[in-house]
Amino acid sequence: MRNLIAKLAPKLALTAAVLGSGLGAAAADTANIWVRADGSNFMPKIVDAYNKVHKDQIKLDIIPNAEIIPKYGAAAAGGTAPDALSLDLIYTPSFAASGQLEDITDWAKSLPYFASLSPAHVKTGTYKDHIYGLPFSADASVLIWNKKLFKQAGLDPEKGPTNWAEIAADAEKVNALGGNIKGFYFSGNCGGCNIFTFTPLIWASGGDILSADGSKATLDSPQLRGAIDLYRSMVKKDLVPAGAQTDTGANFFAAFAAGNIGISPSGAFAIGALNTQYPNVDYGVTFLPGKDGGWSSFAGGDNFVVTKGTKKLAVVKEFLDFAYSLEGQTILAKYGSLPVRGDIAKDALKDLDPRYQIAAEAMAKGKTPYSVVFNDLINSANGPWTQMINEVFFGDDVDGAIANAQETMQSIIDQAPQK
Amino acid sequence: MTTIATTTAPPRAKKLVGAGRRQWIGLLYVAPAVALVMVFFVIPLGMTAWMSLHNWPLMGDHFYIGFDNYVAILRDTRFWNALKFTGYYTVIVTIAIFAVAFPLAIFIEKPRPLANLYRTFFFMPAVVGFASASLLWSWLLNVDSGLFSPAAYELGLIDKKFNLLATFQPAFWSIIAMVVWKVAGFTMIILMTGLQSIPQDLQEAAVIDGAGPFARFRAITLPLMRRTLALALILSVAGSILAFDQFYIILRGGPRNQTLTAVYWIFNQSFVSFKLGYGAALSMVLLVILVALSLVQLWLLRKPEGLD
Repeated sequence: MRNLIAKLAPKLALTAAVLGSGLGAAAADTANIWVRADGSNFMPKIVDAYNKVHKDQIKLDIIPNAEIIPKYGAAAAGGTAPDALSLDLIYTPSFAASGQLEDITDWAKSLPYFASLSPAHVKTGTYKDHIYGLPFSADASVLIWNKKLFKQAGLDPEKGPTNWAEIAADAEKVNALGGNIKGFYFSGNCGGCNIFTFTPLIWASGGDILSADGSKATLDSPQLRGAIDLYRSMVKKDLVPAGAQTDTGANFFAAFAAGNIGISPSGAFAIGALNTQYPNVDYGVTFLPGKDGGWSSFAGGDNFVVTKGTKKLAVVKEFLDFAYSLEGQTILAKYGSLPVRGDIAKDALKDLDPRYQIAAEAMAKGKTPYSVVFNDLINSANGPWTQMINEVFFGDDVDGAIANAQETMQSIIDQAPQK
Repeated sequence: MTTIATTTAPPRAKKLVGAGRRQWIGLLYVAPAVALVMVFFVIPLGMTAWMSLHNWPLMGDHFYIGFDNYVAILRDTRFWNALKFTGYYTVIVTIAIFAVAFPLAIFIEKPRPLANLYRTFFFMPAVVGFASASLLWSWLLNVDSGLFSPAAYELGLIDKKFNLLATFQPAFWSIIAMVVWKVAGFTMIILMTGLQSIPQDLQEAAVIDGAGPFARFRAITLPLMRRTLALALILSVAGSILAFDQFYIILRGGPRNQTLTAVYWIFNQSFVSFKLGYGAALSMVLLVILVALSLVQLWLLRKPEGLD
């Protein structure tokens, strides 16, 4: 008998091991996450990399940018929301205010690198001193210029503009090349594009459009007026293509990529897109300057939020931990997102285009306005910000447009359900 | 009918016979249609009315607030401006559609060579969806990469490319042109059927009596087409009051919110600001306006006494 057991023991052990691993596999969890289409380059890559080396799996859905918010809202109402969501960071306060997100304060603060996470993301991810969102992907606004056109115009192709006067002068010189070539480009009817690329000019000069807590609109600052005059003067001198006036953002990047624009404010995303899709455009990257120098940047990108009551919290945490590892940050950087961990950003970017370093530096000091009604104020195609920028850049009544936007913005803030 | 059925059928016999049975069969026949109307119209309408009495955010809890949403509408100057613009657009576009569709209907109604080909040509844009047509036109109207402005520039007609969509008047008339292009063919077909239903002998008798073309149009064609005109008018007015796609896709309500229509504002409040309850209240207000307008039109175009 003992003999028999001795003979059978290895087999039994093997069977147990097989059963055990089988049971283990069955116990593996799959968490469902959503990302907006802006993340369609890097998100599948990092999910694949994670799934390859982890027992628990992530199922990824990519949702069109404009649909992700209503779709998530409908899914949350119907109890079918994904376990987690990579969400444009500016929405985090209003999402947190709605009570649909898991409070992840303790976990976030337990992360050893918590203090190195992008401050702009963490700020927007915090609501009433609780953390509901953590940084996931990042994009900073920068100024890009076309080196070939600079050279043709007799400018130093290696030196981008460092203040407003230089922007205007350089744009004018490039514009003088004539033909289809224009000095400057911006999307004149896109609120989101201009909060990203126009407000840093104001911030770098010491002004702002909203108070720090988002409770007051401050459009009456002289810095805003100055930045408006810079854009207006370029429009008046015909340095900007006629299509800019009605561009709702479709051409935000494409105009520069076509190679006919001297200078354009843009985002770090442009570096990856130009390198891979438009290798013939030789360009430089610099900071968005203030009136007399200095610089600022809008810190954009996504926060990672967790749906309240999800049963897959452990998987979601495991995935986010992976994304924050050097491996994860490198994958994100390689496919178009800046690193969100300041302490390892340099390492994550070391094998990539050196121009990313400027964007990463911009990101580290980047700023994001905080508001629970950001969409109503800024991003909405019919909101006060979009209406104002179109009027002040191209219209006749600058003061009226500013006053009108100031009043409308303040009334939207005052009517917001929670502040 | 029910009375007949119950009195003629013996009370003991549960089997339905005669008219009663026919009535049940009839109900069965219409049941699918009734179910569709219930599921896709009556129930959603009831839900919209119910939602309009709530503070109903996209996310989070909703709660009953009575008529607060309706009170808020009274102060919503953007909605009233949008409604005013919608009214202005409806009047202009309806006149424009009829001004194009009526002559076209008269043109293609008469037997002439290639009549079917003309009909097809004029009608074709009507089969394109509004969204697709809007996308097509937004390309045609694009100042840099479209057709009109670059072509005019290349031909030397203008010395600087002109952005049609940047200021109100050109943008508005561009939309009118697009809608007339898209809708006139459909209105033309409706008017053509009306024209064809006018008895030929009436026209001939009038000719014999010495009536000229204008007199015949005023005394015969117009009165006999009242019903057709009413149908075409109500379709055009209702469609225009609900206009959304072209303003959303081509203009985004711009330039500077001057072309926000009522439905666009409802969309904005519901799916940009995520105030679903308020959007529902706005929808109810628009529904009441639309029903009232349609009733007024029907009353104005009712058949005058003594005709026929």
